[in-house]
Parts: sequence; C-alpha cells; structure tokens
Amino acid sequence: MEFLAGLFPWITNGPLILVQVMSGLSVGMFLFLVSVGMSLIFGVTRIVNLAHGSFYMVGAYLMVTLIEGLPEHPLRFWGALLLAPLGVAVLGGLIEVALLRRIYGRDPLMQLIVTFGLILIIGTLVLIVWGPDNKSVPRPEALAGSVRILGQPFPSYYLLVLGLAPLVAVCLWLIFYRTRWGMLIRAATVDREMLGALGVDVSRLYTEVFMFASWLAGLGGALAAPTVAVALGMDGDVLITAFVVVVIGGLGSFAGSFISALLVGELQSFGILIIPAISIVLLFALMAVVLVVRPWGLLGRPEE
Amino acid sequence: MTPVAWRWLVALLIVLLLLPLVIPAFFVLLLIEIAILALFATAFNLLMGFGGMVSFGHAAYFALGAYTAALLVKKAGVAMLLALAAAPLVAAAGALFFGVFIVRLTATYFAMLSLACGQIVFTIIFKWTSLTGGDNGLLNVWPPPLLKAPAAYYYFTLAVVGLSILALHAIVQSPFGYALKAVRENPRRARFIGVNVRRHQLIAFVLSGFFSGLAGGLFAFFNGSVFPDFAYFNKSFEPLVVVLLGGMQSFFGPLAGALGFKVLETFIARQWPIYWPLFLGIVVIAVVVLLPRGFVGLLEARTWRIGPARRK
Repeated sequence: MEFLAGLFPWITNGPLILVQVMSGLSVGMFLFLVSVGMSLIFGVTRIVNLAHGSFYMVGAYLMVTLIEGLPEHPLRFWGALLLAPLGVAVLGGLIEVALLRRIYGRDPLMQLIVTFGLILIIGTLVLIVWGPDNKSVPRPEALAGSVRILGQPFPSYYLLVLGLAPLVAVCLWLIFYRTRWGMLIRAATVDREMLGALGVDVSRLYTEVFMFASWLAGLGGALAAPTVAVALGMDGDVLITAFVVVVIGGLGSFAGSFISALLVGELQSFGILIIPAISIVLLFALMAVVLVVRPWGLLGRPEE
Repeated sequence: MTPVAWRWLVALLIVLLLLPLVIPAFFVLLLIEIAILALFATAFNLLMGFGGMVSFGHAAYFALGAYTAALLVKKAGVAMLLALAAAPLVAAAGALFFGVFIVRLTATYFAMLSLACGQIVFTIIFKWTSLTGGDNGLLNVWPPPLLKAPAAYYYFTLAVVGLSILALHAIVQSPFGYALKAVRENPRRARFIGVNVRRHQLIAFVLSGFFSGLAGGLFAFFNGSVFPDFAYFNKSFEPLVVVLLGGMQSFFGPLAGALGFKVLETFIARQWPIYWPLFLGIVVIAVVVLLPRGFVGLLEARTWRIGPARRK
C-alpha cells in the first residue's frame, strides 16, 4: 500500500477519487450517446458509420453558433441544447437519403470507405464554416459554479450530465422495448427481408433510425460542448474512443454499449492520473484483452 | 510478366532515367514524391488488393519509418543509409505488434482496429514531445551532400523504389502470394487445403508495414523534416485513394494511381490546401458509389466470400 501510495499519491485521497469517478461517469455518458448510435445504425443497416464522431463534432459546433446567435435569455442554453441535436438529425437524414441509401448491401469494405470519406468532407466543411480556432461554450448560469462533494469542488454542470445519463438510458430502453417503432428496429436487426415482406416500409425505417442515431450523437456533442474545447480534432478522438466502447461492449448490443461506455469513461478519467500523457494506451490495452478473449465484445454476438 | 510488359517497363525506366536531364527541378521533386507514394500505395495494395484487407491506419507504419530514420540521424548521429535501412525494420516491428491483434478480425472490425492502432501511434508521436518534438516535428533531416541535389536524390529514390516494387512483385508471384490470394478469395477453403490463414495475413501485414516504413524513411530525407501529421488518419486515406484510382486488382495500378493523385494534389492542394481533404472524400465516394461495375465491381464480385451474408 505504501508502495502504491508512493507511485500514485492520489490513491489515499478518497474525495479526489470520488470526483474522478464522477467525471469518468460523465465522460462515459457522452461516449454512450455516440456509441449507442453507431451500434444502432450497425444493427439495422449493417453499416459501420465512421462519420458518427463527425456528427458529434457538428453537434458541438452547432451549440457554439446557437448560443452566439440566440437572444440573451435565461433559457438560451436549453433552447440551443434542444435545437443543436435536431440540426444534426437533419444532416444525418440528408446523408442517409442522398448517399447511404445507395450502398446498402454492398461490400462492407466499400461502405466503410464511403463513411470514411464522409469524415473528410464533414471535417473540411466544419473548418470552412467555423474556422480553425478552438471555440468554447459557456455553461448555463444556473450550473456555472461548482458544488462541494466531500470537500472537493465538483463542477455542477457535470451533475446535470450525470442526472441525464440514467434518464436517457431508461428512455432508450422504453423506446426499444415498449414502443411499436422500437419493436420494428429490433425486428430489422434480426431479419430485414422478413420485415419488408410483412409490409413494413424498411427504407423509411432506415432513414428514421439513421436520423435518431445522428440526433443521439448530436446530443452527445451539444452536451459535451461546455466541458471541452470545441475543436477540429474532436471527430477523430471521439470516433476512436466510441469505437473502443463498441468493441468492448459488442457491436449491436445496447446494454453492452452502456456498460462499456461507463467503463471506458472511468478508464480515461483514471488513466490521466496513472500515465497522463498517453492514457489512450490503457484503452487500447483493455480493447486488446477483450479482442483476444471475446472478439465479439462483452455482450455482442459472434460475427457470421 | 509477358515479354511485351517487360519491354514497356524497360522503356518506362529509360524515360524515367532521362527525365531529370530535361525537366525543371520542380518536376524532379514531384517525381520523387510520386515514386515514394507509389511504393507506399503498392505496399498498401498488397493488403487491400491481394489480401482483401483494408487498413485505415497505414499512415502509422509510414510515420514509424519516417520517425525512425529522422531520430537515428538527428539524435543518434547514425549514417543516412543505415538510418534508412532501420526505418522499414522498425515499421515492420510495429506492424507485427499491432498486426497480431488486427488480423484476428475480419472486414469491418479489421479496418476499425487498424484505424484505432494508427491513432495510437499518432497520439504517442504527438504527445512524446521530448523524443519526437511533438507538434513541431523534427527539422533538418537531410541526406548527405552527395544525395542532396534533386536529381541525385531522384536517382537514389528511383533505385530504392524500383527494387522494392520488384520485390513486392516477386512476393505477389510467389507461392506465398498465391496462398494470400486464396485466403482473400475464400478463407474457409484456404484453411481446408492447409493454408494457415492468420499467419499468411499477418505476414502480408508485416511486409506491407515494412515497405510502408521504407517509403516513410525515403520521404523523411526528401522532406527534410517529419511531423506527427504523417501518422494522422487523413494520411492513411492517401494510399487508399491511390489504389482506388489506379485499380486494386492490378499490381501496377497503384503506380498509375500515384501519378494521377500527385498531379491532382499539385493543382488542387497547393492552390486551395483546406479543400484538399474535401476533394479526396468526394472523389472516393464518387468512385465507390458511381462506378460499382468498374474496378470496384471486381471487388464486389467476391462480396459473398467476405464476412457476413450479403443481403439483396
């Protein structure tokens, strides 16, 4: 224990650990919103949308613009938080109708190349529209300060994120398991041809699912915007981390995404304490272990 | 190769040898870049065209080669040729390290894990400031005076790239190359006739990393400096575009692709650098979406053999 304490001085600092746990949970929340969308799109359309990190980034940038553009009002932040993800959903819908609809059923490698191309296109468009400088989004006034938890200051904005996490998870569960639309999604995941044969407009369902998943990514980006520097590299960073989440949890598994998003959030949060410069290596190590032991993820199903 | 093909190749070689005598230095430099990109793309195509594996993180091995060469010359004072020889070895070691995990996966997972590994290499290079200089890169990595003139480095590059491409061609034509194609066409059947699928894929991955690293080393001395951008995923897109442009089913396709790519880059990227990734993205999507029956169709024809069942 003394050896450990020498190596990691924070290990005896209970309150610091608690704060670290909670900030890990909130990072996990953003990751969950992105990775559950990726998982959802993959489950229904069999496309791995590499541009999902880009949607997250667009969500954050729309937040910047909306906060600057909307009139000064106590509810300005909340209005922006409502509108930004909707904008991303519209963007996702346009991309699905104009582009992805043409490549369903094609070689998976070609689909990957197309969504990879989207990363470059969206990244450049964001650069053109918003410029190369980092942006920041102010927190809403009510949540601008911090609260003390066991004597440690903890930003109250994170409390909002932590409160939303279970709410979003429960809503998703209700949508998937208690609505007709959710039932259609689950049916499409199992057998799309049969669903089409039964008279469901599968094409429309694909668009709806894609828009919904884009909305989730946009919500993640909009919520994360006040906690990070809104910058051009966001898309790649979040894509890689969301990918790790999806691999660990299992592509196509919602519960898997939730558990592994929180796990990865914690790992990132503590990784910064353990090896500050390259905490991503910890993530990679965890992913490598999962890939060796269960290549299809903790709660996923084997390929084929 | 047929005698006709040999004749064309010899003619091409003579033209390439004589060109620096008649064209301005700017174009000689462009030719060097084309040759290096051609090597990078041919190494990439060993995986994509002949192994059926798409890597989205190949810039990592290019960057490993470039940084190995630059670090050895700058920090250890090693001679340029020795540093250049070490570049592909370190890149191959990196490819072996990541490849062990990557080749366990197929199609989608393969591409995504290779992307993740590439970003890890990028992050390490970017963050390890004391060794790599971080964002500032490493400057003043020049070849010895003998090779410093554009024409001299051109001939040197041409020799190294030419020999490497011949070596890659020999690899593709060897029993190993045929076994690799068998693995691409039908992994299960290849396994039944006694081919060790994983091992063949891993060897192809390491060989591809080796030659990517050599291309990176050549580029470090050409550029005179190395930057973390070399490992960024935008860079991984370059060999992919080159191969798509040139045709992935032909061994020499990437050579033509590299020429086309660099000519476009010279006109577009130098004029409007920020639009260049936009252009790359649009070109690739257009090729994939609009030309399903072109060379892309050739790959598509074997869709039923890769990964999960294809839906109609």
